[in-house]
Amino acid sequence: MSIVVKNLSHTYMEKSKIAVKAVDDVSLTVEPGEFLCIIGHTGSGKSTLIQHFNGLMQPTSGSVTVDGYDMADKKQRKLGRELVGMVFQYPEYQLFEETVYKDVAFGPTNMGLDAEAVKNAVFEAMERVGLAIDKFCEKSPFDLSGGEKRRAALAGIIAMQPKYLVLDEPMAGLDPMGRAEILGVLESLRREKNTAVIMISHSMDDIMRHATRVAVLEKGRLIRLGEPREIFKETKLIREMGLDIPQSAQIAELLRKKGVAVPPEVVAEDELVEFVLAAAGRNNGRING
Amino acid sequence: MVKDITLGQYFPGNSPIHRLDPRTKLLLALAFIVLTFLVKELVMFVPVILFVGAVVFIARLPLSYLLKSLKPMRFLIILMLLFNLFFVSSGRVLFEWKFIKLTTGGIEQSIFIVLRLLLLVSGTSLLTLTTTPVALTDGLERMLSPLAKIGFPAHDMAMMMTIALRFIPTLLEETERIIKAQTARGADFESGNIIKRARCMIPILVPLFVSSFRRADELAIAMESRCYHGGEGRTKMKVLKYSVSDLIAVLIMAALIAGTVVLQGVLFA
Amino acid sequence: MIEIKNITYRYDAETDSEGPSPSAPAVDGLSLTINDGETVCIVGHNGSGKSTVAKHINGLLLPTEGDVIVDGMNTRDESSLLEIRKRVGMVFQNPDNQIVTTVVEEDVGFGPENLGVPSEAIWERVDEALELVGMTEYRKSAPHMLSGGQKQRIAIAGMLAMHPKMLVLDEATAMLDPAGRKEVLSIVRRLNKERGMTVIMITQYMEEASECDRMAVMSGGKLFMQGTPSEVFARGDELRSIGLDVPAAVRVCERLRAGGLDIPRLPVTVEEAAETICRLL
Repeated sequence: MSIVVKNLSHTYMEKSKIAVKAVDDVSLTVEPGEFLCIIGHTGSGKSTLIQHFNGLMQPTSGSVTVDGYDMADKKQRKLGRELVGMVFQYPEYQLFEETVYKDVAFGPTNMGLDAEAVKNAVFEAMERVGLAIDKFCEKSPFDLSGGEKRRAALAGIIAMQPKYLVLDEPMAGLDPMGRAEILGVLESLRREKNTAVIMISHSMDDIMRHATRVAVLEKGRLIRLGEPREIFKETKLIREMGLDIPQSAQIAELLRKKGVAVPPEVVAEDELVEFVLAAAGRNNGRING
Repeated sequence: MVKDITLGQYFPGNSPIHRLDPRTKLLLALAFIVLTFLVKELVMFVPVILFVGAVVFIARLPLSYLLKSLKPMRFLIILMLLFNLFFVSSGRVLFEWKFIKLTTGGIEQSIFIVLRLLLLVSGTSLLTLTTTPVALTDGLERMLSPLAKIGFPAHDMAMMMTIALRFIPTLLEETERIIKAQTARGADFESGNIIKRARCMIPILVPLFVSSFRRADELAIAMESRCYHGGEGRTKMKVLKYSVSDLIAVLIMAALIAGTVVLQGVLFA
Repeated sequence: MIEIKNITYRYDAETDSEGPSPSAPAVDGLSLTINDGETVCIVGHNGSGKSTVAKHINGLLLPTEGDVIVDGMNTRDESSLLEIRKRVGMVFQNPDNQIVTTVVEEDVGFGPENLGVPSEAIWERVDEALELVGMTEYRKSAPHMLSGGQKQRIAIAGMLAMHPKMLVLDEATAMLDPAGRKEVLSIVRRLNKERGMTVIMITQYMEEASECDRMAVMSGGKLFMQGTPSEVFARGDELRSIGLDVPAAVRVCERLRAGGLDIPRLPVTVEEAAETICRLL
């Protein structure tokens, strides 16, 4: 059971002269429990692509199935959509209810759960994102801090207990602590519920640390798909696309330029530290303690 | 993408009509409306129609654009046509069935009403088709500025219109995003009765209002930071200037109105 | 020169000062001096009060206690507010909410129009400002068709057209993608280097601070520490205690030092880090 994207293309304003091919012949499969990050320049088609995952957009050609449900079929889409949670950019802008509880309950209620099941789902989701139930349930979502609003909005999707969680830059605009909180929530969902996380992000250091796979989009085409270290090895390609490279990878690259034999698989911070410590110890025993 | 919609219905171009001062065009549009009401005889519509045709030709407007602007009026036009056809009774009776009566007077009256309606809409459309919303706002502000002396907030009205024009595409885009976000949360905007559907609007309207207020607040701060303090002591980057063609255009319109009034007086007195 | 003298600001000071428990101040006894031609970064986590400080610099907010003096003018003095705002250009976080009109060049001219600059002079200023941010070819565009980074460049141009001496960027890069962020940062750096403009950047990205002259770190409305980036980054543990961190390049060297390598002085940038490591091998 998985999300299967087959030869997906999406063209905006198909019939007009200014037709834009936003997604161009993309095929990919998302398995439960994986952490897939999608990177690409603004306008590379990332947002368009992920909106196909729960049928908010329909392919111009090609197909998307979620656990076998064809997302082009109206009846099957309804079932498929319940498996895919979708968190848009700045999701706090979708909060609308009088209390956090009611807002988080909106999704599960729409799914037709009974009151008891809704309550359980809401409490579980709020706990997962770190909003204490007794403190936040009756609060207005508009009285929360920026980071809390973001987490409340995230809880609203998590309460629908999706098997696949799709997020469009969920950490944008948050400070390091806020970012860590969101990433922690995503990791716990994967670990405990085997939820697949599909995330668009520009934060390469976070991707390096968390992603199991990275998909690179350019001009609507899927040009790379692989493990993060494989992708970030290609510093030239990534730089050309106007994306950041993790600072650890940048240092490794500069060292190679200076003639230090840094193996190509050294990309992440941990690996770089390990490599340098080992190399320094080997070379001239400068380790003091 | 909603982003690409064009506001108003401006048709880009550089014709003599496009280049007229927006104030002149506003004035002409007003005069044109008056003209259509001055016409009392069917025949007298002929020069008016010729005038519209000439403007369309000079401005190099595709006829389809003009027709598109008439489209929203089609039901009103048909309604007016039927109503006048069957319920106005004067002149010779051509056909009668129960309470419906078709008369020559009715036919004449309905052609008259429909023509006037069509001309009114196409006249004002010619204004918006050949003038950018910004120029229109600017023109309105200048025309109304003498009223500022008696306390009419001409500058503030124009500023509000400018901001509205600036933010409509942004808010449309935002609405689209909110609809998608709530759809993804299982909101259903398509089924149920009217009350249920109206209630479904809450998850869209509340976030939209909240966000609009936030935007308004931030915009006000940004404007204040850019030394905005109302219209007083403000200069304008773009200065409007009347040219010879404005004079010619006004003279043509004056001639048309005078001609219509005089001819009608002489021929149909 | 900007002198922030022991300011305290409470958001509810005006509304319910009689209330039983006034909320914690957003800014609490902060003093900071910014000299002409300097680039200063104010960093801190969300809610640390850094944006509140920014809004004091051009008198958008007035301190509950203390004073803010810009080139000798107190922001409390209403008659000098316009002059202060003319000198201090402000760029805000959301690119959409600071562009006023529907055509790029008209928006850039908005500030000078407010200042009563004669029309021909406005055109000169607009041309120059658009050139400085590299947006001349978009002068006739509608703002909503531009990317986030381009919109922020227009916002900067709108400020430059008022001929300011100082530029305050209030988290101006927070909503941009990496490419947009780079565009904005490189323009700001150039304005500082080539035109001697004073730059105050409010940010939560520590990497952005690594090339500034001085950093001010805020926490809980107070000035937590200040110094050159190298001085601030050397105190990584203290930064982490308030929910911030050093850039990854610095952290790598911190960890190497903890692993026993001899690194007397921590680097600030990626290049310096590579050099430091190279010397060890």
